[in-house]
Amino acid sequence: MNDGSTDHLQEDAPAQPAPGRSAIFFNGESSRRRTVTVMFAYALELREPLNSTVRWQYDDIRRADSPSGVLRLSCLSAPALARLEIRDPALAAEVIAHCPRLDESRPGRGGVAAIVGWSLGAAASIVAMVWFGVPLAADRLTPLVPQSFERRLGDVADGQVKVIFGSKICNNGAGQAAFTKLVNTLRDAAGLDPSVRSAVLATPVPNAFALPGGRVYLFDGLLAKAQNPDEIAGVLGHEFGHLKHRDNTRNLIRNGGTSFLIGLLFGDVTGSGAMIFASRSLVTASYSREAEQSADDFSIEVMHKLGRPTKPMGELLFRVTGKEGDKNLSFLANHPLTEDRLQHMTDADRPAGGPPLLTADEWQALKTICAPAGSGPGKGGSGNASGNSDGGKISGTSGEKI
Amino acid sequence: MNQMTLVPPQPAPPPPLPLAFSGDRSEFRALVTRGAALELVTVGFYRFWLATDIRRHLWSNTVIDGDAAEYTGRARELLIGFLIAMAIIVPVYLAYFIAGLEAERFKAFASIPLLLFFYVFGQFAIYRARRYRLTRTVWRGVRFWMAGSGWAYAGLSLLWGLGVIFTLGLLLPWREAALERYKMRHSYYGDLQGSFEGRGWEFFKRGWWLWLLAPFSFYLFPAAPFVYAAYKAVEWRWWLSGIRFGDVRLESTMAKSALIGLYWKVIGWFVLAWFLFAAYLAGGAALIASMHGIPMAMLFKTPALLHSVPLLVLLGIGYLAVILGLNVVMRVYLLRDLWARVLATTTVHGIEAAANVSARGELANALGEGFADGLDVAGF
Repeated sequence: MNDGSTDHLQEDAPAQPAPGRSAIFFNGESSRRRTVTVMFAYALELREPLNSTVRWQYDDIRRADSPSGVLRLSCLSAPALARLEIRDPALAAEVIAHCPRLDESRPGRGGVAAIVGWSLGAAASIVAMVWFGVPLAADRLTPLVPQSFERRLGDVADGQVKVIFGSKICNNGAGQAAFTKLVNTLRDAAGLDPSVRSAVLATPVPNAFALPGGRVYLFDGLLAKAQNPDEIAGVLGHEFGHLKHRDNTRNLIRNGGTSFLIGLLFGDVTGSGAMIFASRSLVTASYSREAEQSADDFSIEVMHKLGRPTKPMGELLFRVTGKEGDKNLSFLANHPLTEDRLQHMTDADRPAGGPPLLTADEWQALKTICAPAGSGPGKGGSGNASGNSDGGKISGTSGEKI
Repeated sequence: MNQMTLVPPQPAPPPPLPLAFSGDRSEFRALVTRGAALELVTVGFYRFWLATDIRRHLWSNTVIDGDAAEYTGRARELLIGFLIAMAIIVPVYLAYFIAGLEAERFKAFASIPLLLFFYVFGQFAIYRARRYRLTRTVWRGVRFWMAGSGWAYAGLSLLWGLGVIFTLGLLLPWREAALERYKMRHSYYGDLQGSFEGRGWEFFKRGWWLWLLAPFSFYLFPAAPFVYAAYKAVEWRWWLSGIRFGDVRLESTMAKSALIGLYWKVIGWFVLAWFLFAAYLAGGAALIASMHGIPMAMLFKTPALLHSVPLLVLLGIGYLAVILGLNVVMRVYLLRDLWARVLATTTVHGIEAAANVSARGELANALGEGFADGLDVAGF
């Protein structure tokens, strides 16, 4: 078809008629650079010596990307990568005038409004999913998650808790007996089955955890700050509320879904990490406050059933954290503000109608549950009150704190 | 001119051809500024269109032997690739979660090695994304294309990666050489097969002193950009000089110091941006304090101010402005200017071997780009 050895000569061949009408043509089948003469007939004709003339219908001609100063054309009915390059401005203008649909399939200006519109639609849909869809899905899915799976989650979290807080469980005789009595009373009132396991961990952090699969840890640091059994009972009731509502599993589904949905946004925009982090924190904090609120309600319900006051738990929390409103923004906190919780529990408070949950001796024994075996009640008490007061701020595990 | 036709055609080897970049810098700046703003407005979804526009600009202004290249990829393809990749990544993440749970039950924090899986997946995505970009690269009406297996590449990368970790980075040049050989061996321009002739040893010989400096530069802030810029320059030169397509070969003369200015300019812009951000925040805080009637001296001692909602809103707006500006800076300097500088120091030998290449190769889909986006390993 073409005589390869004379390529370079043909380009400069004197046979070319009007040099102003010449252009460079690549036929899309080979990378050979062909100099053609452009003729305007019923179609655009590309003539090349020794080769058959190529015809491009004006309606099929489209503009392709090119450096400035070059008009580069493709044709719908030609091979997809065939290109005609015109460098002469006068010829380029003439071709443009002949091709009515030159810019029709170019990606560009008109589409931007559509992109913005669809993106905002997608963003609105993602926000709606995060706000309504994910909590609904979590509520529906949580009962479907088998207990055995939750226990596995619990085993995982248990391992991590023990790595972080140490694995020393307090169980000296009398203290353990008092703890068991308190836990059993509350557990029965909460309507939980006996598979629930509880223990006191020897760590000065004033907190308590519910882990998935029915495991509650009370930290010695919180015992040290407590002044009566009702305070601890309220906290245990709160943790049992988390177990009853299966909040760990629910949160897992909620946070997983939220992270994924929010992660769809922004992609590789540099610096978007902070925005994703901020919006995710806002949403998960809101979920968390809701779960804490209903665990508090559950605790109040249990204490009412036992005929015990609900205010002491609020007082214990207040003793641990102090007034939070000055230091924190309510919409960023993952718990309701302590003063609000105290207010809520005070409002729900009823005078004690039932018997005390522990005798004075049992209470003293519980307070010293972490003291070395043999040291009697009354000796410890404040022994562990090294109480750093940043209660409720530990993180890093998947447990539910008070 | 007529005289030339009388001379018998004696194909003397033409001199090496410089590559050229004909792009207008202000045009590119306008492109990425508009793109960055649209990215914010569209909460990031515009990224597919911006990436496509950037590539179209860079490709079509890259002139080789008088003819500019062309990028024929379209943003819609990237979007569809991303959506399909998401549909695949979600179950993978779930499976990863379950497997991690089992590992954690066995021992606390035992799931960390599972991250290796994501490394391998990421390498697969990088390979497939390169394949997409290469099949959208056209020069003289003939496209580049790529064969080979993304998983084989990922396995190769994992093995070499482990080697690099165990030798504290010493094997890095040999890893790059091995991976580049695999990529280039499976790359084609029409029926012209690519290859890579760079040797790990040559890379190491040119840059051995950088390995010695690297541990110190981590602790000495002003040294790190110098070391990194020199490393990148050595890497570019070595990489370009190793590229072959049939008898066409590239040669780079990039000096070791060629990129230092570029990186320092970016650092300068970053410092300036954060300085302005800090000044803006201080101004905003002072304004809010004066509205609350708090004296300046007490300004930063008042906890309420640090938690005031208007200040947080100001912070958010300022932050958005800063990242918008920095995205523009990074794209102008580290994409466009770097590209222009690399091309300016590169020449082509034996381009006549590419004078009559037959078109071959199929288009690859954009799934790899989608994975790379979903896994955050995107190149450009």
